[in-house]
Amino acid sequence: MKDRTFLIVFLSLIGVCLAVTVAHLAYIVYAYEHCSIIYFIGKELWG
Amino acid sequence: MKLTKQISALLLAVVLFAAFNVSMYQLLTRRLSNNFSDVTQAQMVDVGRYLPHTDGSDLPKIDTSLKLTGDLPVLDGAAALVPVYAAVIDTLYPEGCVTYQGGEFSDDNYYGENFAEDSVMQYKNTVRGYQAIVDGTTDILFCAAPSEQQKQYAHDQGVELQYVPIGLEGFVFFVNENNPVDNLTVEQIRKIYTGEYQNWSQVGGVNRIINPVSRLKGSGSQTTFEAFMGDDEIGRKSPLAITGASIGFSFRYYMDGMVENEAVKMLSLNGVYPSAENISSRRYPVVAQFYAIYRADNTNSNIPLLLDWLLSEEGQRLIEKTGYVRIQ
Repeated sequence: MKDRTFLIVFLSLIGVCLAVTVAHLAYIVYAYEHCSIIYFIGKELWG
Repeated sequence: MKLTKQISALLLAVVLFAAFNVSMYQLLTRRLSNNFSDVTQAQMVDVGRYLPHTDGSDLPKIDTSLKLTGDLPVLDGAAALVPVYAAVIDTLYPEGCVTYQGGEFSDDNYYGENFAEDSVMQYKNTVRGYQAIVDGTTDILFCAAPSEQQKQYAHDQGVELQYVPIGLEGFVFFVNENNPVDNLTVEQIRKIYTGEYQNWSQVGGVNRIINPVSRLKGSGSQTTFEAFMGDDEIGRKSPLAITGASIGFSFRYYMDGMVENEAVKMLSLNGVYPSAENISSRRYPVVAQFYAIYRADNTNSNIPLLLDWLLSEEGQRLIEKTGYVRIQ
């Protein structure tokens, strides 16, 4: 693969991954503000 | 060789992003997704369990000397007090005055429960309930003490509200059942919420960040919590706190008798567990009153009858049998 082609593919892939991750984080922030804290604390990870 | 390196770089990028998102899912998202709506606290109360005049409901039964007739007051209230005012209707009101429609969660019904407009039982929870009592669509509201904003709303509308304390309830703090901490002092909790203590090891627990969780502004528990904090200002928590071990607050019967989530546990305060006995005796240090609230200018003659009855031996016995603590 040519360097230029690779760079385009690589940056495109990073862009898609970043978009998915930002959407995921935005969902977490919004849902955290509106979720049941009893359920949230009950599902906490412990050892 | 070059192509192999390029493909490896692409794969590495995908794996890194995937690992981050899977970690976030395990740490946070899975704990949120099952409770995602505009007002999820209300989702946790299955009103269908507390319908008056319905076989198999969870409402207590007592014999009474009073039966209301005529202009029946419309009752509404906080999620935690649904069993109380539903039991009042079940005991004092004639059959056929409650029309439950239920329903799925939607934009039009974000509580997931609803009643017909002419039903004497309504369920709007605290924030909308205070608006309803001020606006005159509800006659008596069963709630914790109002927030400053709710008092201001009544004042702005030129409405005087009367607050009749009818029962006691413990204000409790809770953590995950696996958190080794079982007891905190009142002072320790205040320092957690001001941000002075940020790690459970500072209060006898494990080395994990503390995530002090609050509730919806204007909800009964949030208003009670703000009163509990007094002059201590609630601190801004670290963005990393969300990944830590949480502490939250609620009312005892809501936790213990209604939601009954065994994955969380209530904490003792100053060495006293929030049992009904310890709340009644006031050994438990954070006891709140709950109220029957009505407009001072409401002329419905059944309102004083109902309130006098609530404070009588019969009414107090009913409150006790619903799981709360009598005030008399």
